[in-house]
Formats: sequence, C-alpha cells, structure tokens
Amino acid sequence: MSGHDSKYFSTTKKGEIPELKEELNSQYKDKRKDAVKKVIAAMTVGKDVSSLFTDVVNCMQTENLELKKLVYLYLINYAKSQPDLAILAVNTFVKDSQDPNPLIRALAVRTMGCIRVDKITEYLCDPLQRCLKDDDPYVRKTAAICVAKLYDINAELVEDRGFLEALKDLISDNNPMVVANAVAALAEIQESSARPIFEITSHTLTKLLTALNECTEWGQVFILDSLSRYKATDARDAENIVERVTPRLQHANCAVVLSAVKIILLQMELITSTDVVRNLCKKMAPPLVTLLSAEPEIQYVALRNINLIVQKRPTILAHEIKVFFCKYNDPIYVKMEKLEIMIKLASDRNIDQVLLEFKEYATEVDVDFVRKAVRAIGRCAIKLDRAAERCISVLLELIKIKVNYVVQEAIIVIKDIFRRYPNTYESIIATLCESLDNLDEPEAKASMIWIIGEYAERIDNADELLESFLESFPEEPALVQLQLLTATVKLFLKKPTEGPQQMIQAVLNNATVETDNPDLRDRAYIYWRLLSTDPEAAKDVVLAEKPVISDDSNQLDSSLLDELLANISTLSSVYHKPPEAFISRVKAAPRADDEEFADAGEAGYSESPSQGVDGASPSSSTGTSSNVPVKQPAAPAPIPDLLGDLMGLDNALVPVDEPTALSGPPLPVVLPSTTGQGLQISAQLVRRDGQIFYDISFENGTQSVLDGFMIQFNKNTFGLAAGGPLQVTPLQPGASARTLLPMVFSQNVSPGAPNSLLQVAVKNNQQPVWYFSDKGSLHVFFGEDGKMERTSFLEAWKSLPDDNEFSKEYPNSVINSIDATIENLAASNVFFIAKRKNANMDVLYLSAKIPRGIPFLIELTAAVGVPGAKCAVKTPNKEFVPLFFEAMEPLIK
Amino acid sequence: MGIVFTRLFSSVFGNREARILVLGLDNAGKTTILYRLQMGEVVSTIPTIGFNVETVQYNNIKFQVWDLGGQTSIRPYWRCYFPNTQAIIYVVDSSDTDRLVTAKEEFHSILEEDELKGAVVLVYANKQDLPGALDDAAITESLELHKIKSRQWSIFKTSAIKGEGLFEGLDWLSNTLKSGSS
Repeated sequence: MSGHDSKYFSTTKKGEIPELKEELNSQYKDKRKDAVKKVIAAMTVGKDVSSLFTDVVNCMQTENLELKKLVYLYLINYAKSQPDLAILAVNTFVKDSQDPNPLIRALAVRTMGCIRVDKITEYLCDPLQRCLKDDDPYVRKTAAICVAKLYDINAELVEDRGFLEALKDLISDNNPMVVANAVAALAEIQESSARPIFEITSHTLTKLLTALNECTEWGQVFILDSLSRYKATDARDAENIVERVTPRLQHANCAVVLSAVKIILLQMELITSTDVVRNLCKKMAPPLVTLLSAEPEIQYVALRNINLIVQKRPTILAHEIKVFFCKYNDPIYVKMEKLEIMIKLASDRNIDQVLLEFKEYATEVDVDFVRKAVRAIGRCAIKLDRAAERCISVLLELIKIKVNYVVQEAIIVIKDIFRRYPNTYESIIATLCESLDNLDEPEAKASMIWIIGEYAERIDNADELLESFLESFPEEPALVQLQLLTATVKLFLKKPTEGPQQMIQAVLNNATVETDNPDLRDRAYIYWRLLSTDPEAAKDVVLAEKPVISDDSNQLDSSLLDELLANISTLSSVYHKPPEAFISRVKAAPRADDEEFADAGEAGYSESPSQGVDGASPSSSTGTSSNVPVKQPAAPAPIPDLLGDLMGLDNALVPVDEPTALSGPPLPVVLPSTTGQGLQISAQLVRRDGQIFYDISFENGTQSVLDGFMIQFNKNTFGLAAGGPLQVTPLQPGASARTLLPMVFSQNVSPGAPNSLLQVAVKNNQQPVWYFSDKGSLHVFFGEDGKMERTSFLEAWKSLPDDNEFSKEYPNSVINSIDATIENLAASNVFFIAKRKNANMDVLYLSAKIPRGIPFLIELTAAVGVPGAKCAVKTPNKEFVPLFFEAMEPLIK
Repeated sequence: MGIVFTRLFSSVFGNREARILVLGLDNAGKTTILYRLQMGEVVSTIPTIGFNVETVQYNNIKFQVWDLGGQTSIRPYWRCYFPNTQAIIYVVDSSDTDRLVTAKEEFHSILEEDELKGAVVLVYANKQDLPGALDDAAITESLELHKIKSRQWSIFKTSAIKGEGLFEGLDWLSNTLKSGSS
C-alpha cells in the first residue's frame, strides 16, 4: 500500500446526503421545502436518511403547513433511531400545540403521540394537558387518542399526570367525536392494564348513549363495544339500553350492526319479559340477513358470528334458513359456514327443504364440500328423530350414485345414525355391504367394521366380511385395527362357532404380539383377559347397552359461547377462540420480572458437550439407553398356545413388550393417528451424553409414502430449538421410523411463567402441518455441570433468603436403599453432596442445575423402607420450583 | 433568473441575510431577547427544550436568529447549528454570579470550535434591571473576553424586560457584518 492510494478514499463527489444537507440549510424557503420533499422521498423508498435528522428538524419551525407536515412525518419515522436528538424537536411541539390554527395544534399532538421516545415523553405532557382542554373539539379528540399512545409508552406518567381523569372528563364532552375517541382511548388503556380503569357508571352510560346517535360510524363502534362491557343493574336498565341501541341495527356499516347485536344479545340475558325478547329477536333478524348480501369476506365474518348467535338464540333466524342456502358461486369457505348454520337451523318444519339442498350439494364437484354435505345429512338425522328416516333414504340415494367418497362419507354417518337409533334401520345394511370393497379411507372402513360387529347376529356372512378385512390387519391404521379387534370379539360373543374362534385367535395374536401400538395392545389384552376369565362377563361388557348419542359436534361449551358472544365482531368470534388463546397481551405489572428473566438467560447459561463425555454422568457410559425413566412393563415369555391360554384361565397372563424396530423404550404418543390422518408421532425429550435430543418416531398409517419431514419448535421457556434438520427417510405405508434430533438452546425464549410445554409443528410433503404439544420433564434439562462442592453448597444455601425455600411431600415414594437412590438421581444429573442421619430419617443433600446456570439446592428427607419422602429445595429462580418438583417425582420412586 | 437578480440587488443595496446563534446558559434570557427583538414585546417563556428560530429585519439585514435551549442536556447539540454561522450572541445572566464560571467555560469552548472561526461575537450582559447585576466591565472580566484575539467582539449591558441595550448591540452587529463582508 503506497501513500498514493489514499486518493481512493477521498472523492470530490459529495453524494446525495451532503447535497441534501446543504439544501436543507439553504436560506431559501422553497429550496428547503424541496429538500425535505427529497428526504421524505428517499425515506419512503427505504434509504437511510436518519443522518439528516437535525437538518430536517431545523426546518420544523415554519408557517408552511405542508413543510411542517413533511417534517413531522420524518420525525415519526426517525425519532426512534435518533432518540437523543429528538429532544431538539420538543420546543417546536410545545409552540405548535399553542398555535392559533387548530389543525396545527392537533397535528402537533398527534405527532407527539407517534414519537415513541421515552426521553422526551415527559416534556410532552404539558402540551398534551393543554390540548385535552382545547377549545377546538378536533384538537381534543386527537389529544384523547394521544393519551392512549402515551400510556403504552409510559403508563406511570399518564397516571401521575392525571390524564386518565382528563380522559374520563372528556366522556362528558359536548362533542360526540371527542366522546367516541375518549372512549376508544380508555378502552385501549383498559386492555393493557390489569386494574379497572374504565368502568361505565349509570352516569357515563347516559352520556355514551347520547353521543352514540351523533358520532361517526367508527365512533359508534367504539362506543358500542365499550357499552357491551356495561353490566345493567336490572331488566329495566337493560331494556332502556337496548331501546337506545336498536336503531343502530339499521346502520349500513356492518361493524356497527354486529356491535349493536352484541349489546342487545348481552342485555337480553337480563330481560325477563318474553314479549320484549321475542320482539328483539324479530328486530335482529333482518340486519343479520342483510350482512349476507355483502362481499364474501364480510359474509364469512358474519356467518362465523351468526354461528354463535344461532347457538345461543336459535329463534332469531329460525325462519330465515333460506338465506343460508349455498349459491353456486359462493366461495368454498362461505359454503362451509352456511352448511354449518343450516344444520343448526334445521327443524322438523324445514327439514324437507334442507335435505333437498343437502342432496344437491352432495352432487357438486368440490370434494370437501360434498363430504361436509353428506355429514350434514347424518347430523340432521341424529338431531331430528322424526326426520331420521328421510335422511337415511337420501343417504341411500346418494350411495347409489356410487361416487366413492360419497359412499364412504355416507357409511361414516350411517354408523352414527345406527348408534343413535339402534335396531331401527338395519335393513339398509345389505346396501352398505355392496360397497365394501371400495372402502379405502380408515374412518369409513372403521365405521363399516363397527356396523358389521354391532349387527353380527343379523348379518349372515358377518364372519366372511370381517375375515376379508382381517387379511390386511397388520397394515391397517390403528383406527381400523381397533375396530376390527372389537368387532371380532363381538362376533365371537354373538356366534361362538369355529370360524369366529379362529378369527379371534388370529386377531388377538396380531393385536398383542405383532403390534407396537400400546392402545391396541391394551385393548386386546383386556378382551383376552375378559374372555379367558368369564365369557359371560365379557358379554355384559362388550355387548352392553350404549348410551344415546346426540349431535354435539361443533357445539361450543356454554361458558365459552358466552365469552365469544361478548366478543362478537372481533377476531375472537371469527376464530371461535377466546382472545387469550391467540393474543398474548402484556399487562402492566409483570414487565420488570420478564426483563430480569431475559438477562439471566443471556448470562448464565453454559453447557458444553465435553462435560458429558468425560464420564461425569453414569448415563453417558451406557450410551444407548435413555436416562429418562419410563414405566416399562416386565418382559414375560411369549405365549405359545393362544387359545389354550384364552380358555385356560391363565392368571399369569401379562403383557408382552416386544422391542420394535429401534432401540429404546416405546415413546409416548404425541400425535395419535386419528388426529394425524393416519400418521402417528411419538416423541420424548431425552438427554444423552450431555446433550438433549428429541427422540421422535413416525408411524405411517396412511396409504401413501410420506416424505420430506420437517420439524419446528415454538418458542419455549428454555429456548429449545432443533439443532439440525429432521433425518427421516421416506416412509412407506405401514412403516415406521425413529430418529434422535439433537436440540440446541436458542435465544428464542418465550416470556411468561416457565413451563415444560414444548409446542411442535411437523410437516411432510403429503399432509397438512401437524401441531402437537409435548410435556417434557424438567429433569431432561439437569446439566452434567450441576455438581457442587460441599462448601459452595453451604454458602449458596445460606446466601439464599428463606422465601426461596420450598418443600414438597411425596407420600407414595419409598426409598429402599440410599445408595440406589443416589445412583438413580446421579443418572439424571442430580448430584449427591452429603448425607446425615436425623433420628431414623436419612437426610440427603443434592444439587442440580438447569440451563442459564440456575441451580437447585436440594434436601431430601426420608426413612428407608417407609413410604413418604420430603423434598426441600432452594433456588434463586422460584418460578421453576413447580417444574422441579414435578421432575423429581419419578426420580425418587 | 429571478433569483439571480434578487441576489444581485440585495448585495448592491446591502439587504443581506445573516445567520445568528443566540447561546448562553439556561435562564439567561435568550428566548425573551429573541422575541423582544422580533416582536418588540416581552412574552412569557418556558425553558426552551430544543430551539426557536425567527427572522429579524434590522438595518437592512435579515437576521435569521436561532435561539437554542441552554439546559445542560441540550448544550451538546449546539454544535449541530454551528455551520454557516456569521455571528454569535452570547447571553449572560449578570445577576447569576455563581454560574459565571460555567458561563465562561461554555463560552470559550464555543470559541474554540472550528466551524465558528469566522463568527463575530456579541455578548449581552443581560438582566441589568435586577439588583446586584454586574456591569459590562465586570462581565468582561469574568468571561475573560480580553483573551479573544482573532475575532471581533463587543459587550453590551442589556435588559430584555425593559428592552434596553438590545438594539445597540444589534447596531454594532450589523455594522460589523457589513464592513466585514463587503
């Protein structure tokens, strides 16, 4: 590098930023304005012009409104990146908030609210206070919203400065827009605060109801939504509110209509007069129907809300079922929702019409819609017993069309109909049996098998039919296997002849020795036990009278329904989920704790794999076996003569546990095949050689090859995430695969109280994404570095305050040998430090450590051989204590 | 074309513009002086968090006067305003004897700024209406004005409330600026 090269670093060209800077400082107004426009243009296309901050802010004091607005726009964008310099703008805000022009005053206060810089918020309080009392309503209404914004930045400041009271005063403002905005601001503040801040009294109620008629449509929505939280004192109060709100039902804005409906529905609870209620129901129907003439998206929202309304008060729309008939050009999501409501509104009076519609739908082209239509027929049959026969005949007609998926769906619903009306419609079984060979969906197969088993005595060739299924027993999905097992047992009990006897032997053999599905195995053993002990008892159990079913699918729990109705016209009522289920709102209080938590996470965590390898933990030496204790059934000898055992009252019969394809004990099922459309996932967190793995196994019960498996973990307490891609080879139908997925700790830590829940999403190329939750146990996280020296243990114990000590009794734990317990605990990285005798009790001192260096100091007290152990623990992070106690339980068995 | 002519004329007739910074510790009276100069009346002020900018037409010179907040937290940002400055009006609260040392230190650190090398300095010994206010000579002493070598400076006794001395200072400033640049 020679000195000449320096020329490359200096250039005569100034570049865009210095040029703009020069123009911004020009003495000519026009030039400055043009320059600010150029800056805004650059900002809009994403160039970083934050370095011009002071130069732009210097243009702020101008009479030119256009220029002022541009500078404000710039400020909103860049104040956050230049928090120190933002203070230079304060004086201008203060001045502008006193400008004679109300537009400028409002502009200033609006911009102030948008600048989310903590350092300057304090200076903005005075202008805000002034603007809240401004003569001009436009300024006041803007200031009201600004309070809510300020509350989000600094709640304490807002409360100290009495802005909340000022806002409440604005509710009595004579301008309805100001009232609406004050209500909106208070409602928003209330959402983020745990304390009651905004409560509507009878006094404010009158004010709000008066303002309601005069303000803009969105103002009306704010007021209505706030009113919906008001608890009327008595029926008269409620009637009064309803009367004032009812005119809103005529509004053209559907948000206003839905909010009005929400209030009326809530207040109707209190109204006792049936006349009034009937009248109200009548009034609510036309506006709801009108919503369905809007765009499909709005229709969908309306339909989701109507779905809730209909569940609560079916009478409102009882006569309007025709508007829910699907149009040929409705989008599929609208059709599906309409279908749902049609089912809910179907009654003896309109069922003929409805069935005609359903039948029509069942011949359409969209497979999902057709299936749902067929299912709808079945649900109507279950709901309306007088219409059941008509429904069945429609279903039979549909079966005759011989469209495979229609037939299968029909069989599924006919099974339910049989269940609902036993011994009524068996005559159609023969028709069903004609389609037997075409069934390829697990649910349809399972349903058909159930029907055969249930009516085995009336089907002459029941054994033949079942036998045809049995051939493929091992390949069938779990759902079908379970039904086959039960159906065969039923057949055997009803026709204890030689054929069924051989069948049952084969089935029981398949379902016990040959399977690795614990559900199937358990059920098979129960039957086996029953049959071999007391066949009569088996009859009583297996062929017992079944309780009558009702159509409760898609019916919401009444408390949930009430909660959703209180949230009509929000996302919650569209999702049919309570708001907490999909929004995590940070309430004011727990903030400080959270931050502490995050800091600890960054600093304390250390875990190197080498610690595990050097043999510190006994679990690493065994290598293959996981150190997670899983209740493993004792492995007995295989049973040679099944039938002999079956009949020979052999009490020694115990379950067989055959280790399947891969090593290790069977994993808990996290995604049953019924949920996973045939794919079953079992998984568990394990710790091996000082590292955490996700031991996961896939069982392909579908008819096709599954490949391209991928896995994703949601944020969790420990920030656990996949350490690599999921290594699963393409799975043939019926095959299973098991793999160890290494896990790593990321910074992606979920806030809130610690829990051991692991939310997992798994996808493959053939199926939709599957979500499941896995409840891990904390002891997987106990690190190999958890061993403490005696002295440091003592010091640590003393240094922690007494409120950090917790204890728990394990009444069922029996310690038979101290040494074995110590070894057992050490295998799970709970390390022994010292022990002492206290009377006849043994007191053990142990230590463990979880990621981020959180230690647990443990004192375990128990008497050898006597049930009951007491565990006391001290840790700086109390919030993990419940998880810790949960994890200890299996370890001190 | 129009702009070229305007410039031409303004220089011929001496109607020029000057960028002036009003600096000084907090509560020295900067904002009051600014509005006294601009509107000729006393306005009630609050501490300036940031800046005020006004145009004052005097003696055929259009002064673009920047009044910057004097609080400790804002002083570091003064430098953002230094480029292209022709003159500094440094305002001192003559009655606040305790902080004269601070005023002096701030003053001299400003003078050391490269960007202000060519700027002339006008000192207002303000608040002469208050009892116990030091006169211009005493202020000259405390600010060590005689140490200024390479630029023109002057000091005036002023009272922004009474409106005394302000325009005398501005007279000096306009004359100095005119003679200095033409």
